[in-house]
Amino acid sequence: MRPIILALLVMLLYLPDVEAAATKNGSPGAAATTGCADCHADFASVLPTEHPVVAGKGIAPCLGCHQPDGGQKPAPQPFAARLHRAHATETTLQCTVCHTWRPGKSFGLRGAKVSFGNPGKDEMENLQAALRSWANSGFLDSLHAKRDVMCAACHGATLPTKGDTVENGRCLLCHGPADQLAAKTRPAEFPDRNPHQSHLGEIACTVCHKAHRASTVYCLECHPKFEMAIRGGSGASQ
Amino acid sequence: MELSRRTLMKVGVVVGTAGVALNLFEGKAGAVVRKIPTKWDETVEVLIVGSGFAGLAAAAEAAVNGAKSVVILEKMPIYGGNSIINGGEYNAWDDKFHLRQKLNLGDDSADLHAQDTLKGGDFFGVPELVKILADGATPGLNWMIDEGGVQLREVVNRTGGHTAYRTHTCVAGVGRGYAEPLRKIAESRGAKIRLGMKVTWIWRKDVDSPVLGVEVETSKGMQNIRVARALVLASGGFSRDVAMRMIYNPSLGPGYSSTNHPGATGEMIRYAQAVGCEAIHMAFIQLYPYAEPETGMLDAPAVYPFRGPGFGIVYVNKAGKRFVNEMERRDVVSRAELATGMKPTYSIFNEEMIPHMGTKDEVEKGLAKGRFVKADTLAELAQKLGVPADALQETITKHNQYLKEGKDPEFNRAYTKAMIPLEQGPFYGIAQWPAVHHTMGGLRVNAKGQALDIWGNPIPRLYAAGEVTGGIHGDNRLGGNATADCVVFGRIAGTNAAKEKPLA
Repeated sequence: MRPIILALLVMLLYLPDVEAAATKNGSPGAAATTGCADCHADFASVLPTEHPVVAGKGIAPCLGCHQPDGGQKPAPQPFAARLHRAHATETTLQCTVCHTWRPGKSFGLRGAKVSFGNPGKDEMENLQAALRSWANSGFLDSLHAKRDVMCAACHGATLPTKGDTVENGRCLLCHGPADQLAAKTRPAEFPDRNPHQSHLGEIACTVCHKAHRASTVYCLECHPKFEMAIRGGSGASQ
Repeated sequence: MELSRRTLMKVGVVVGTAGVALNLFEGKAGAVVRKIPTKWDETVEVLIVGSGFAGLAAAAEAAVNGAKSVVILEKMPIYGGNSIINGGEYNAWDDKFHLRQKLNLGDDSADLHAQDTLKGGDFFGVPELVKILADGATPGLNWMIDEGGVQLREVVNRTGGHTAYRTHTCVAGVGRGYAEPLRKIAESRGAKIRLGMKVTWIWRKDVDSPVLGVEVETSKGMQNIRVARALVLASGGFSRDVAMRMIYNPSLGPGYSSTNHPGATGEMIRYAQAVGCEAIHMAFIQLYPYAEPETGMLDAPAVYPFRGPGFGIVYVNKAGKRFVNEMERRDVVSRAELATGMKPTYSIFNEEMIPHMGTKDEVEKGLAKGRFVKADTLAELAQKLGVPADALQETITKHNQYLKEGKDPEFNRAYTKAMIPLEQGPFYGIAQWPAVHHTMGGLRVNAKGQALDIWGNPIPRLYAAGEVTGGIHGDNRLGGNATADCVVFGRIAGTNAAKEKPLA
């Protein structure tokens, strides 16, 4: 897959019928809804008070100031995150308000020369599901969403596909180095009962930390009496 | 009338049609016909299922005996299975440092190891295989030391059912002390471990066919992997599958905890049976007598009662009385514990025994966690454990007297001069209770590690090693024999798998 920038991956969520919309309008990637004003009649009210007046339609005017902020770095991407977070659970909007997409051929951004790869229909559905989860699942993905951390920060330069995992090195770019991470979770009373420095040696972060579903403490499989909590676990709000 | 094995196996089995798999697939009528893949996602020369001691040893040897590609499929998200959490014990009559001789702990031999193993399993074990285990244990241990950097503690224990001091312990005090070196050997020789790869079927066409490959469930969907030389099953036992163990021993229901990792669920045994492999001794399921009573956990402290008998440890029940000969095998001790009718039982030892069983540091950690209990006097220890003080005092006094006289009129314990009397404090106690630990039964193999079909013939290109096999330990495995079994037979299976003629 071609390298892409995931920062602005799926701008608007839940498109029940993207292809139909694209066909109906004659031009691939065109959407029934074309601008923010279709929903936000008073568009200025959704912007910060100090924000300059925006003229024009769709995402294009934004890109004059907000450059697609490059998804390959494991860093927060406030612009993209804010837009995706705000629209992720909105069921009437379509990705193609902001994005261009020809299934299996191209995926980009309206008004910008940028390619995010070429996801097919199935892949796009997976991406949408993952991004919805990211926005409000209560799982680890949504904890990252709160910090403006998007798909590419974990998944790197290519669009994630079904079953993709995240290597420890990627997590540790933000959460490492490993020994410092272990120091943070070392129990004062029983230093060797440390989930990040256990008798299992170096294991994948993803053994316990699941991004798009409930995280689980693997230790408890054999040590059910341990009192260990994990963020983004099954008790997380949906 | 000659009724050939082929004719017999064809009865009720879909065979003969090109492309249809030999098939005892569990399921509804519509699911019965499973077609052999016409396209394979990948071909691997030696494919190994399971990344414990046996799988790693097999991979290491396969990689230097001719196999160009060696891949281990591990269904769990971490490698190592039970092997990385086991007690760290390895039985061998000798080692390159000659520790037993150095520590002046008497004589031993490979033959004696084999004799003890056969007797400890009530002679259900296959003598030919047991001899291979005992003969191969010392070279296997030295191989791990030389090639993988295994480090041993300077102790050798005489443990239940053994008549000699031959139980070695790695410095880590847990199986990881062997698993990591084995992984290092295997990976340095080019073998690859893939995690999260769950085998869901073995492909074999008919009763004369070799094993063709496996079906695998992965996070990215189902895959079919073809084997060009051989498939090695090293997938462990089924202690954590309550339903499966109850098929063979209905008494081992959910009321029993298990010392095992959650992946010990035995499905590979079923898949092998479904393509004609023989499984034997399946009802022989071992309880570990010294697990943590509430959870069944086998942590570092839970190994002390196992290591202790040769140095004088005493087991008592809640009434403060001995209830078994401490030198006995695991099945005998477990049954005796259950027969007390009082949960749990306790091991009693003193300060002087600690360096022979483990380390001071380990004991301190165990004390902090409340696993060990420590007291200056036996009366105080009894009070802390919740057993009658006068009874415990009397039990220990009598035991000390027996030890001095070299004769145990109550339980006929065989005393040795290495045993330390419980005279000097501080004293320690630890609670213990049986938990399901090891499944002695499994796939029938021959001396080459080949898996045998129900007619006793090797199934072409199918090998097995470790706990997935049956027939070595008889009805009761002696503690410390499993690691040696895995290493010895893993090496044999891996070596022979790599020598199979590769398919194009």
